[in-house]
Amino acid sequence: MFLTMNKILFFFISLTLLLSSCIELIDDLTIHNDGSGTFKYTINLSASKIKVNSILALDSLDGKKVPSMAEIKAKANSFAANLKTQLGISNVTMSINDADLIIKLSFDFNSIPNFQSGLKAAILSIRDSKQSDDSNQSNELNQNWISWDGKILRRNIPLMSLTISEQLKETDLDLLKTGSYTTICRFDRAIEKAEKSTTKINPSRTASMLKVNTYDLQKNYSLIDNCIYLTPLKNK
Amino acid sequence: MKKLVLFLFCLSFSNIFSQSELLIPRDAVTVFSINNVSLLQKISMDELVQYDFMEEVHQELFDGSTSEKTLKDAGIDFNQRLNVFYGKSDDAELSGFTFGISNTNNLFEVFDDFEELQSKYNNVKIFGSFFNNLIIKNNNALLIRIEPSSELIDAQTDSIWYSRGNSYPYGYEGDEFGDEFIFDEEAFNEDDSLSDSEEIDFPEALEDPSEKNYFELRDSVQLELQKGLLSKLLDELLIENTNLVTSDGVFKEQLTHPCEGTFYLDNSRSLGQANSLWYFQTIMPSLYKDIKELYTGNIILGDLFLKEHSIEFLVEARYGEKLGSIYQEMNDSKFDKNITQYIHKGNSAYFTYNVNMRKAYEKAYEVIMPILSSEKNSNIAMNVLALELLNELVNKDALFETYRGSMFGTFNGIKKVNTKKIEFYYDEETFEYGEKETEATEDMPIFTIGFSIGRGDIPEIILKNLGRLTSKFEKHDDYWVLNNAILDAAPLYMINKNGLFIFTNDEDLALNHSNGYGSNSLPKKIVKELKREGFMNGYIDIAGTLNRFPSDLLNERRSEMINSLKGKSGKMFLESSKTTNKSTNFKLTYEFRGDENSGKHLLDLVNTLYIFSK
Repeated sequence: MFLTMNKILFFFISLTLLLSSCIELIDDLTIHNDGSGTFKYTINLSASKIKVNSILALDSLDGKKVPSMAEIKAKANSFAANLKTQLGISNVTMSINDADLIIKLSFDFNSIPNFQSGLKAAILSIRDSKQSDDSNQSNELNQNWISWDGKILRRNIPLMSLTISEQLKETDLDLLKTGSYTTICRFDRAIEKAEKSTTKINPSRTASMLKVNTYDLQKNYSLIDNCIYLTPLKNK
Repeated sequence: MKKLVLFLFCLSFSNIFSQSELLIPRDAVTVFSINNVSLLQKISMDELVQYDFMEEVHQELFDGSTSEKTLKDAGIDFNQRLNVFYGKSDDAELSGFTFGISNTNNLFEVFDDFEELQSKYNNVKIFGSFFNNLIIKNNNALLIRIEPSSELIDAQTDSIWYSRGNSYPYGYEGDEFGDEFIFDEEAFNEDDSLSDSEEIDFPEALEDPSEKNYFELRDSVQLELQKGLLSKLLDELLIENTNLVTSDGVFKEQLTHPCEGTFYLDNSRSLGQANSLWYFQTIMPSLYKDIKELYTGNIILGDLFLKEHSIEFLVEARYGEKLGSIYQEMNDSKFDKNITQYIHKGNSAYFTYNVNMRKAYEKAYEVIMPILSSEKNSNIAMNVLALELLNELVNKDALFETYRGSMFGTFNGIKKVNTKKIEFYYDEETFEYGEKETEATEDMPIFTIGFSIGRGDIPEIILKNLGRLTSKFEKHDDYWVLNNAILDAAPLYMINKNGLFIFTNDEDLALNHSNGYGSNSLPKKIVKELKREGFMNGYIDIAGTLNRFPSDLLNERRSEMINSLKGKSGKMFLESSKTTNKSTNFKLTYEFRGDENSGKHLLDLVNTLYIFSK
């Protein structure tokens, strides 16, 4: 993903792109056999502290207001508070380490449909009216970027991130070369195979990891698309 | 020789009364007059419109009709001066050019959107395009844009609006900009600033379509005011023959200088338009009048000399007697030679600033206190009381020995600095991950700024106690360090030695050169020059400094100035003379390499000065 996070993520990514720095993104999805699970998302900008903090010290950049750290925290907390109220979502935690510039989000869900709809609703809750009126962005949120039928997990890159990357200049894209995006999927039972040959599977075959360079990802969105096949459930 | 001088004098004298500078309005506060216009013949119109001083009129020129054309093709007379001016009065802002015309047909191929307007002036043709007007008199042209101030437009519009019995035009008067609005990072988007009906509460359409709503009325008022201001200005210029040359002897004299270009900035008049002084102007008019008086005669004059591989810009800053006496005392200071030990001979930029704050304070106290004391205002009276008490109670010896006023600064280029980062590591068995702190490096501009100090014990007291408060302060043998001081990531070093207190993020300076660079510091020849010259001196290697300077991190105006010089090569030197109570002279030398077009260099410098003076 999961750049669908919201404008805060967009802001952080924009910052990163403006700088010759690196960003580390980790999404960690656990899906149990019954479709419930846990989602953890981490943005690590600690390697770019000087540059990010120098941007945060500005009032505006490229004609856009730069929010303060307090405003970013307030918006993130508002997002987390809304997520807590969503059907099937529980144990929401959001932490922002402003000293090291690491943002972490974690929550449990009882089904994949509730996971997606809860996340969408929480994102919508913190978007301003102008963004809500934007039909492109609404379509992006209606997109299902993950599906799970008990045997196969399919995931692709959300449309939202396509829009973001289309807004980037070529010079900005060059600056993503040292960043990484890691997606981890965990299951209760063994993985039979993964569609992407670059996917690493752990020795017990219950977890997969796909790591891509953020620059390559911007050039080729399908790098993150994956389909993971699990072994059949054993009948008790 | 005498004949030659006489001939040149007559030539320049006759020029004054026959050329386009007689069309410069009296209200112009800043003027750049380019004498040697032939240098600009090769400048393309497309290139010209990129300059900031063209911003007011460029939409007219940049409409395709100018593509691949040079100034030479535009019908401009290169035997005359090109004058760029800018001015701001209480009622309006004006900007424009005056120039000679060699071929009217060619001129109108460029100014093809201008339509002829009715003229009441003899032998004068007037053309208009939106807010731009072109006035042609005897092959001399004035291209001008005059815009009434928004305060004036609002006042007139409100007056008419309410006199018609209308109510408040903006609807709900409450707090419409809540926290959500403040957070909104897209609020600055130009294209949506007027499109979101939820952000701006537009007046509703009226039942009678022939009746203007508030904004339609405001547009009409703006147009009428603009016409009125232009008419008044043209009456002054064309009927009364009042212009900047006839109304200001200093400017008139400046035009006689035999140089490639001249610069004129009347600070005493621009003071009135300084936004920061509006409070004084409206709330304490008599104090404002006194301050203005203090600035009387404060004019900056400059001459540009173009040489084969350099441009010299000689500037004279003139003061009135009172302000001049403060500057004279302030700049009467012995150069602190310790400073030069901390400027590396390879530094790509440095400045030295040598003043005596003690003397400046005492003179300013002598000059300004009577002005403040005569003000009959309770706030001012309380401030005067506080100032007088502070003057009696504060240990001025300790204060001005701690901060003497002299300082220096260097830019040491971009260096890698060590920082810490959090790295995620993965367990290959489970793909679980954890965090570990590792070393990182990031690019950072390296600056040093140092102050002359006679009481090094005072900052030591402060640092010692701050060190007790937080472990971020660490004392080392030769320096103090404040960890994570810069942008929460990089350390700031403080060196308190040799009569200097230095802040730097240059680790090498703090760790290895806390007593200065020794034989690698500035050469003796330059040190001698610095000692001999006035209060301010500087040096910039443009390729090594400005081209690498992170201008994104400056405010908009400073960033504009830096960007206007980017892409150049060469060196700039700033020297200043000793200050008298009448003036200080500065000399800025810009040495450039290669075969770059000198006309373009001239325009680049003019542009930088325009941004600076605006």
